[in-house]
Formats: sequence, structure tokens, C-alpha cells
Amino acid sequence: MSRLETRKAVIGYGGTPIVHGVDVQIPDGKITAIVGPNGCGKSTLLRALIRLLAPIDGAIALDGQDIHSIPTREVARRVGLLPQSPLAPAGITVKELVARGRTPHQKVLRPWSSTDETAVMSALHSTNLTTIQDKVVDELSGGQRQRAWIAMTLAQDTPLMLLDEPTTYLDISHQYEVLELLHRLNERQGRTIVMVVHDLHQAARYAHHVIAMCEGEVAAAGAPEDVFTEELVSRVFDIDARIVPDPVTGTPIIVPAHGPGGAR
Amino acid sequence: MKILRIGPLGITTHQRTFAVGLLMFAVLAGLLVFALSWGKADITVLDSLKAAVGIPVGAPGDFVVGQVRAPRALTAVLVGATLGLAGAILQSLTRNPLASPDFIGITAGASTGAVVTMWMGIGASLWITAAGAAIGALVTSAAILALSWRRGIVPLRLILAGIGLGFVAQAFTQYLLTRMDVHDAGTALGWLVGSVTGRTWTHVTVAALILAVLVPVVLWHARALRTMEMGDDTAKALGISVGRSRVVLSVAAVLLAAAATAITGPIGFIALVAPALALRLTRNAGVTLIPSALMGAVLLLAADQLSQLMPATLQFPVGIFTAAIGAPYLLWLVWRASRGGPS
Repeated sequence: MSRLETRKAVIGYGGTPIVHGVDVQIPDGKITAIVGPNGCGKSTLLRALIRLLAPIDGAIALDGQDIHSIPTREVARRVGLLPQSPLAPAGITVKELVARGRTPHQKVLRPWSSTDETAVMSALHSTNLTTIQDKVVDELSGGQRQRAWIAMTLAQDTPLMLLDEPTTYLDISHQYEVLELLHRLNERQGRTIVMVVHDLHQAARYAHHVIAMCEGEVAAAGAPEDVFTEELVSRVFDIDARIVPDPVTGTPIIVPAHGPGGAR
Repeated sequence: MKILRIGPLGITTHQRTFAVGLLMFAVLAGLLVFALSWGKADITVLDSLKAAVGIPVGAPGDFVVGQVRAPRALTAVLVGATLGLAGAILQSLTRNPLASPDFIGITAGASTGAVVTMWMGIGASLWITAAGAAIGALVTSAAILALSWRRGIVPLRLILAGIGLGFVAQAFTQYLLTRMDVHDAGTALGWLVGSVTGRTWTHVTVAALILAVLVPVVLWHARALRTMEMGDDTAKALGISVGRSRVVLSVAAVLLAAAATAITGPIGFIALVAPALALRLTRNAGVTLIPSALMGAVLLLAADQLSQLMPATLQFPVGIFTAAIGAPYLLWLVWRASRGGPS
């Protein structure tokens, strides 16, 4: 089943298509990774999935309804987004930032309820931020800051969460910290997660479903073992590669076929 | 984060913001009492408070306080609040502390609009002056937007376009002055300095009515404004109708600036300084509308009182006084920005 899907969606900026008529289904309750080379339309697709971009042609459907016919606030109660480079207001504390995730649930004359408080507390708890909730976001480490933003998205309490490159700019231990967090959220809370990632090994390890994009088209979609073939990696990423099983998880690892200095 | 709930409406605020707000309110009340009771005429504090609210106390209080000091002080309070609010909205929308209406040409546009009404000889009615100022400010803002638009607003372009268009508006105002007869030009020139001297209850009423309409609109969109500070994508993902909120808030800010200009003439720097000071005092993350308005009121009333305390030969209109306070702040901002610090 899929609550979120695209139907022959052509997506782009200012009328110039970047993604050309794709049909994408986001499987419910699974982690989906969108991979592909730079400029292939990964982020463009993600932005359209949460209606930051209107399709030039075709449609994006949320629960079978055209997403652009659903009120903004209603969409925000079903789908959350962690943008690539969000701006934290100067001096905001972790808890205040997380509390902003409750925005779509609040009304002008009833801004804060115990439900909101509970959601914020539980988001802080699941991201291990409870002890530093009063720290100022600007002063956190990269990994903590990313966790704070994920906590904000969590507090939004949406069944679907979209993340645009949640691990980029983080060192390797923080990358795995974030991926483990997403894995836990999916496992324990059953959240549907869609993330744009660059690292194919991480995509194969953590995602149940992989969408590989190339030049604005979906090159392949399915389980990591089915998507990551030598033929596909060569076609999409233009590298000659061998696929070997991860010694720990058995998921595919993509290794270049040549050592350093080897001819292409 | 300590949150304070106020009343059944469930309006929430930080304890510190609330405390700072109360303090500013107390300072404002103190200044107001001072403004009403201090002066050459010998009137007791109690009598001046009575006269200000219309209880007859006999001469000279009825006239000096009831018709001169009270409307002047209340004009300063309301216009100061209006400027503080307009500045806070614009600075938040553009995420730039320099974007205050007097700095980006909106006040200059409003002045031109108002001077046009004087040139046409219909400026005697405050409502007509206000309408002229509103049209001037809206036209200028539209031009600023058109010049700075590149697939969305580019904040730096907006400020540069605003400064440029502000000069164009000023030049046009000066051209109009040369076309007016000497007496009218003198009146207009006096008005262009920015002053609360000689303001009447009509000014107070107009200011109060405009605030009564615009403040609820602005507060209704306060959450949208705060959320948009996190970037358009985040705000949209959090369910904010970014496009609509931005239009409503910008128009409201422009109208507030225009109203303030129509009532007192262009008064600089209050809109620039008040939101920054309010932010510093409340230590809030992001825009604080009500403290900015209170701070604007305190600053303008205090500036006007200070200018009245000067010896008679040194008594400037308050617009000159605020410029004297505000200019060092602007220099400090530029100095900080040039050192690469957060601005």
C-alpha cells in the first residue's frame, strides 16, 4: 500500500522540467531511499512529494487525493519534512525548536496544549535530546543539531517523514547516529520514512525500498538487492563496479572495479 | 524554556518575555505620567491625570494637559508602537536587521504621498494625508519589490533597491516643495522633519483606529511570521501558507509605516532600533511583536520628553532627536557586520 505516490509527474523550476513524468510509490511503513548522481532530480522529486513544488504535468497523490487540493495545514499533519539546510532562528533552544514542529496542530487562540507538550517531550526522548533540551541550537555539534531538527519533524507527529540529505555534512559516527535513529523510528513507531542519500552502502543497509534516479527518470525501484546491480550502477552512476555482500548485514556494497590509478 | 499561560485563551509566552513586557509597560506608564504632569504650567500630578482623561480641573490644566500635553504624549506612544511593529515585521520577513521602513524607502514614499496631498491643497484632513501616505508607501513598496524580485525576494537587493527608491521619492518631494507656495511649503517642510508637537486628539484617534484594525491582523499572522524565519521550505512543511502570510504581513507593515508617517511626519530610527532592543531584552529566538511595539512607544515618548527638557534654543523636533540616537546604533550594526559577526 502507498499513501504517497506520483502519477506521471513532470516536475521542475520555472517551467523547465527536471523530473520527466515519473511514477513513484512510497511504500507505507517502510524506509525508502532516493539515490542518484548530482542533478538527477532527487531533491526535486522530494520537494514535489511535499508540495513545495507543483508538478508541471501529472499529479502527486496523498491518500488518493491530489496533494494540491488538500489544505496546507492538513498536508502538514500527514507529511513532515526535514529540508536540506533549514535555518534556526538565532538563540533558539532545542526544546523551542522542537516545539515549532507542533505548528500545524495549533490554532491562533489555542496555541499550546498538553498534547503538544507530550509530543515535544516524546520527540526529545526518542532523539536522546532530553538532557540538552535547554541548550541553544547554534552551540550544538553537527550531529546534535541534525537530531534536533529531526526531533522537530517528529514532534509534528506525521505518519510520513521526508528527509532531504539528512546525513550530508555529518562525520561518519554522526551519520550512523542519524540513520540508526531513523531506523528506530521506523521500527518502533511505524513511521514511513523517505530520505535522499548519497551513500549507496548506507542506502542499501537502512532502506527497505530504493528509488534510483538518473537524468530525471526512475532508473530502477525496489528492494536494495534488486536495484543495486553492476549493470544499474554502471548506467546510473557511470562507474564500473562490483557488488559484494556487506560482511555484517549481507546487504549489497558497491565497490569500484579498479584500484587506485586503474584505467577506466 | 519556561512557558507562561495567560488566561482562558491560552496565550503563551516565555516568562522572561512577559516580565520584560511588564517592565516596559511600567516604564511607559511612568513616562506618560511624567509627560502629562511635567512642564512650565504648575499643575499637580493628580490634576494632570484627571485632565488627561477629560475630568475638568479648571485652568490651566484643562487646556495645557487636556488639549496639549495629553494628545502629544499619546500620539508619541501610538506612533512609536506603530513604528516598532512595522520595523519588527519587515526585519523578520527579510531576515535582515537593516530592513526598517525608514531605511528601505517606505517612509520616504509615504512622505511623498502626503506632500502630494498638501501640494494639491487637500492635506488639511488627516485622513486624506493618511490615504496619500498609504498610496505613496504602497507604490514605493511595489516598485522596491519589482526591482528586487528574482524568483523570490532577494533580501540584499531589496534593501539596496529600497535605499535607491527612497532617494528618488525624496527628490520628488523636494521638487514638489519648489512648486508649492511659500506658506504651504513651509508647513510641509515643518511636517517633513517629523514631530509630535501640536498634535491633537484627532491625531490620537486616527492612530488608535489604524492600530485597532491592523494589530489584530498582524497578531493573527504572528505564528506564520515566526515560522517563516526558519526558511520558506520549513514553514510550508509546517503548514504555513507562506505566500499569503507574506503578502498580508508586508502590506500591514507598509500601512503601519504609512500611518505613522501621516500622523507625525517621517520619524527615523525608531522602527530600526526598537525591534532589536526588544529582542536583546527578551532574549527571544526570532521576532517579538508586542515587546517591539512597547519598545517603540517607550523610545519615541522618551525621545520627545528629552527634546522638551533641552533649553529652549536647543529644542529640536523629535525626528531630529531620534536620528541622533539611532545613527550611532546604525554605525554599530555596520561595524559589527564588517567584522563578520552575526548581524
